[in-house]
Amino acid sequence: MLPVKQVAGASLLMLLFVVPLGLGFVLLGPGIFDGASFTALFQHPQFFGAIGLTLFTGLVSTGLALLLAVAIVMGTVPRLLSGSGVLLALPHLALALGLGFVLAPTGLLARLFVGGETPPNWEMVQDPAGFGLIVALVLKETPFLIWAMVAVLESDELRLRYRQEMLAARSMGHGPGSSFLKVVLPQVLPRITWPLVAVFSYGLTVVDMALVIGPAQPPTLAQLLWTDLNDGETSANGRGAAGTLLLTALTGLLLLGIWALTKLMRPKLRFLLTTPARPEWGATSLGKWFWAGLILVYSAIILALMLQSVSLHWPYPDILAQQFSTKAWQNVAQNLSPLLVSLGLAIATSCAALLAVVVWFETQNERRDRVMLVAAVLVLCVPALMIALGQYRLLLTLGMTGTLTGLFIAHLLPVVAYVFVMLHGPYRAYDKRWKAASAGLGVAGVGFLRKVKWPMLYKPLLSTLAVGFAVSVVQFIPAQLAAAGRFSTLPMEAVTLSSGGNRALISVYGLMLMLLPLIGFLVASRLTRSRWQDA
Amino acid sequence: MLELRDVSIHLNNEMLVNKLSLSMIAGEIVTVMGQSGSGKSSLLSFIGGDLPDIFKATGDVVLNGEILGRLPPEKRGVARLFQDDLLFPHMTVGENLLFAVPAMPAQERLAMVRTALQRAELEGFEHRAPHTLSGGQRQRVALMRALLSKPKAILLDEPFSKLDRALRSQIRNYVFSHIQARGIPALLVTHDREDAPLGGRVMEIIRDGEVRDV
Repeated sequence: MLPVKQVAGASLLMLLFVVPLGLGFVLLGPGIFDGASFTALFQHPQFFGAIGLTLFTGLVSTGLALLLAVAIVMGTVPRLLSGSGVLLALPHLALALGLGFVLAPTGLLARLFVGGETPPNWEMVQDPAGFGLIVALVLKETPFLIWAMVAVLESDELRLRYRQEMLAARSMGHGPGSSFLKVVLPQVLPRITWPLVAVFSYGLTVVDMALVIGPAQPPTLAQLLWTDLNDGETSANGRGAAGTLLLTALTGLLLLGIWALTKLMRPKLRFLLTTPARPEWGATSLGKWFWAGLILVYSAIILALMLQSVSLHWPYPDILAQQFSTKAWQNVAQNLSPLLVSLGLAIATSCAALLAVVVWFETQNERRDRVMLVAAVLVLCVPALMIALGQYRLLLTLGMTGTLTGLFIAHLLPVVAYVFVMLHGPYRAYDKRWKAASAGLGVAGVGFLRKVKWPMLYKPLLSTLAVGFAVSVVQFIPAQLAAAGRFSTLPMEAVTLSSGGNRALISVYGLMLMLLPLIGFLVASRLTRSRWQDA
Repeated sequence: MLELRDVSIHLNNEMLVNKLSLSMIAGEIVTVMGQSGSGKSSLLSFIGGDLPDIFKATGDVVLNGEILGRLPPEKRGVARLFQDDLLFPHMTVGENLLFAVPAMPAQERLAMVRTALQRAELEGFEHRAPHTLSGGQRQRVALMRALLSKPKAILLDEPFSKLDRALRSQIRNYVFSHIQARGIPALLVTHDREDAPLGGRVMEIIRDGEVRDV
């Protein structure tokens, strides 16, 4: 009786998540380990330049994002940083598109602060050194790392402890800045290892942001491979697949190297923990300025997208356009298909993922969560290019490329991963005594779930659904590969448009990418507002 | 000498401490008793310089003739012992002690750590992780750490309440004798009458923040 229920309960998540993930990895095998593809890759004229750019942009952006996040968390009250979650809601692709309109020679920055008759001749977007890509990545990852650190700092079991340790350190004469760096930070960093790994892996392998704002001649390795994978030629596809494997291996090796380096350096750096107190080392107000700056840049990006989307004739150096028009928006209204496909997929995948994960939690022993967590973290930390390629091979084998089912499966993997990681904590922390109490009142089984447990977990359930929705909306790589040219989604449309010159239309797609998840989050927060008025 | 002059603390409309004046000479340990939520912790926070803004406090804290005013905790020279030992888990016992030693030549700093370990009767524990020590051992290290920072006064925030009954009087005597030997004033807050040192001044916070001698 029991095993049947358990097997049935596990099957949904297995079918939707584990099996496709595993099969994808297996199917990556054939054809990828052929010498010709690797030889072709190494002979690619842009290969070494691309590797250099990948290393440079990935390492610098991750390092800068971490430094900024630490400075901001150090100099700001954690409570004020709860807004970092709001910044996370801005899809990375919309961020890259908007940043382009801020940094371009004819962008908002130059119009506001440079002026003159002709635009400045700086190169900050698609520049050969990858500066634009680095800025975009830093802007995207800093709020995420802040959010991860604040989650640790403000967690129920650690919040009071850290506060008291800070106070103890200060009562011994250490300023708030040095207390944070010596006492709190060394304890927090090990707890955000996985977010850091995800950030680093993303920075090295990002495709969509790089296509919009990254260097072009040569591009980053991920862009180079992306071109190959979308090529009509089979040999180019093989080269792209070989390169994807190489990029993943490179990411893994670098992570291993960084891990070994920190292991090696740690004993040598310990003396920094116990250098004498300097009371004058106050909390640097620098962090607050960085935080304010970050919010300002985000606002500028959104503003640039909004202005650009309704501007018809906007000659340099005017601050505002001479002619406004809603033409771009009307254009979209006439071509609703990408919006509807994205919306439909987001609703379907987030609901399916939530259902599968909840069924898992209800039927499986908590000990088995480990396996799922590993799989989920794998999806979040292994380069998306690699996983998407595996999924694509699977869909090809099943003959499901270019179908809505195929698109659904391709979007589902990352959504399930996020939903599982997000919901795991709150769902498993649910006090089991409620079940006994409820059973004592004659309410058990599904009735208990429907009347007691789910209403109590309403908030985490809904916010997880909103996150799943947002994750689905922003998928580019799996969407593009699975769609096989038959369907278009918002991110696909936005990336395609970004190589053209229709700034208004690009902005409209950027804004729609932003609005869709935002509506999801707003609905979720509206519905989860406490019924009880605070006194 | 640590003096409190007309110290009052409010939270919203509630009076937690009402016009407390008190002076402690070097080596004296004064005990303030009160129920939880009575404002005794707020009093320590006020003296230590970390009272949250939602509290309204008036009056002065005077340490060796200097009015502390709004100085931040790190500039007050007021050490603190808490309910938890608060040894930093990512540092060894020795590093925890060294953390508190003020600036001076490195050899002297290390020598001070060695002396402190001797006084804590924990020679050879320098490289141990704090969690491998017993509760009593940890609280001894915490006291030594607080004293190493060369404080001009020390605040004791129920530092014995989490210890076993058997251990309690032992640690109590240890803490009191070391504070008296150091010759600095100390203010102890507790809800347990037994925590007060014999013969010391004992006060109690009663209704409406009034503080009277027991």
